[in-house]
Amino acid sequence: MSVLLEVNGINVTFDGFKAINNLSLSISNNELRAIIGPNGAGKTTFMDIVTGKTKPDSGTILWGQKNSSLLRMNEAQIVELGISRKFQKPTLIETQTVFENLLLSLKKSRNPIATLFYKMSPDDEKEITNIAVEVNLIENIGSLAGQLSHGQKQWLEIGMLLAQKPNLLLIDEPAAGMTYPERKKTVNLLKKLSKNQSIIVVEHDMEFIKSLECRVTVLHEGTVIAEGSLDYVSQNKKVIDVYLGR
Amino acid sequence: MKSIFLNYLNSMSSFFWITAIIMIITISIVVFSEAYGLNFVSTSFVKILGKTLCLCIVALAMDLVWGYCGILSLGHFAFFGLGGYMIGMWLMFERTKSIVIESTQNNILPLTHNEINEAIGTQIFGVVGGAEIPMIWIFADTLSIHLLLVLFVPGILAFIFGWLAFRSRVNGVYLSILTQAMTLGLSLYLFQNDSGLRGNNGLSGLQNIPNFDNITQAELSIWFLIASSLTLVVTYFICNLVVKSKLGNVIKGIRDNETRIRFLGYKVESYKLFVFVITAIISGIAGALYYPQAGIINPAELAPIASIYLAVWVAIGGRGSLYGAVIGAAFVSLSSSYFTGGQIPNIDFGVFTFKWVDWWVVILGLSFVITTLYAPKGIGGLVEIMFRKKQL
Repeated sequence: MSVLLEVNGINVTFDGFKAINNLSLSISNNELRAIIGPNGAGKTTFMDIVTGKTKPDSGTILWGQKNSSLLRMNEAQIVELGISRKFQKPTLIETQTVFENLLLSLKKSRNPIATLFYKMSPDDEKEITNIAVEVNLIENIGSLAGQLSHGQKQWLEIGMLLAQKPNLLLIDEPAAGMTYPERKKTVNLLKKLSKNQSIIVVEHDMEFIKSLECRVTVLHEGTVIAEGSLDYVSQNKKVIDVYLGR
Repeated sequence: MKSIFLNYLNSMSSFFWITAIIMIITISIVVFSEAYGLNFVSTSFVKILGKTLCLCIVALAMDLVWGYCGILSLGHFAFFGLGGYMIGMWLMFERTKSIVIESTQNNILPLTHNEINEAIGTQIFGVVGGAEIPMIWIFADTLSIHLLLVLFVPGILAFIFGWLAFRSRVNGVYLSILTQAMTLGLSLYLFQNDSGLRGNNGLSGLQNIPNFDNITQAELSIWFLIASSLTLVVTYFICNLVVKSKLGNVIKGIRDNETRIRFLGYKVESYKLFVFVITAIISGIAGALYYPQAGIINPAELAPIASIYLAVWVAIGGRGSLYGAVIGAAFVSLSSSYFTGGQIPNIDFGVFTFKWVDWWVVILGLSFVITTLYAPKGIGGLVEIMFRKKQL
């Protein structure tokens, strides 16, 4: 399988605190990958770096077959390449409806003039409706995003990811605030999506990770300490130390 | 689906209402005017109304940039003033030129081009101790160029300023302070005698339109009233289109959750810049219509306080609704000129005289605080609540 994202020797320091320490990681095409680690391990910072929110002090991030460097791009350009992100806390346009949130996410020209003269085609409308059905929000399509329950907000944000049709999805704690059946549904959706897209999931919930049945990367103090199946890494001495306390 | 269609209809209905109201007011003023009708309405009142309509236009611009895009610009009145200056230069130059030519009509030899320019220079710049026409007046003889400058000078200034500010991701209060600094800088520069725009004297006599000498002020005021109301209607229509388009969703998204919009792949900076420049141009047009009715423009008009008033109008009227901005600007600026115009007698309490001129600012400030606390959507929000109740 060819490599989609290659992170090499990344270092990030916040006011003298080393958040990311020589981190290297690579994701293949259509791979589902879970990243776990205790609080402060650098999971969210890792996502910030890939999406261009934080610039690393050193290291390289290469993308796709052309090996283009992400470090020289801004957030919008990175999204254009096909990297989309779901935040830890549901991040929606709360004052707009579910429909409008999905409309904004559709893969269309992001240029101001094009959006000014944008006219919704029946196809776009159908696409939005299909996504709303997929994420169980078809009945709420006209209500404001701010009025949804926490779990529904998570779903809407996943729906917004789907609408962008990315090549790589970065998903930060999708299971938080979801009921058991909702979690199950999320797992199924992620598995289905990973047939055509690469996905990185950051999650605390071990049950959730286990049901994903994928390769797991364990981060600790900004560096990778183990990588492999969940069963494999959970027998790793270092991982046990980190999780059970030294 | 149905609700989206209904929303669209509702949004258009506000446009039709505003258009109808403005048209009714304009037509009835024409009917009752001194110039063309029953002579009930004085010319000065017509001018006040015409100016108020221009203020409504700039309030629409402010609402678009602040109420919809979340950029609290304290500089839009500077763009308004620049528009006024640009048209004022042409008006003053042409007017002075015709006076110069008229006064020398009985001379045996007609004046040469240089002599005319010298005479105009002395006439215009005598007050600031100069006689030469500065470089920036080079196009003052050509109306078409100055009409373009009305659009381009505010537009380009807004573009440069916005590009620098948004690119560095200056946000919130810091951006407001920057825009205010720009306004202050501009007005201080214009106060200087060697700015080439007559320093603190400003440009005057703008109410006289060159080549229309035989038309009375009463008639001109009606023309300007009609022009202002048409411009307001067109601006409202354009703003309505922008707000209801997908671009409207994007800029409201920037206002409410900039990070989300950024990570959906929109270049937030371009959107902000787009809205900032468009609204600056709208403000410039409004200014170019306003100052010929006011007759005089000076740097004090561009002072930061004017832009702050603009924000107060929009806040009281209701930001985030276009008709709110129009209502707010009309209501507050008309009552401002009523209370500070000296028409109502002061109240004498014996020990203390309540002077409306002095206390109006306090009343305005209090109403601003009250709207912010208790009716964040302003007068427009109250109208909305009223109509909702009726529907129920």
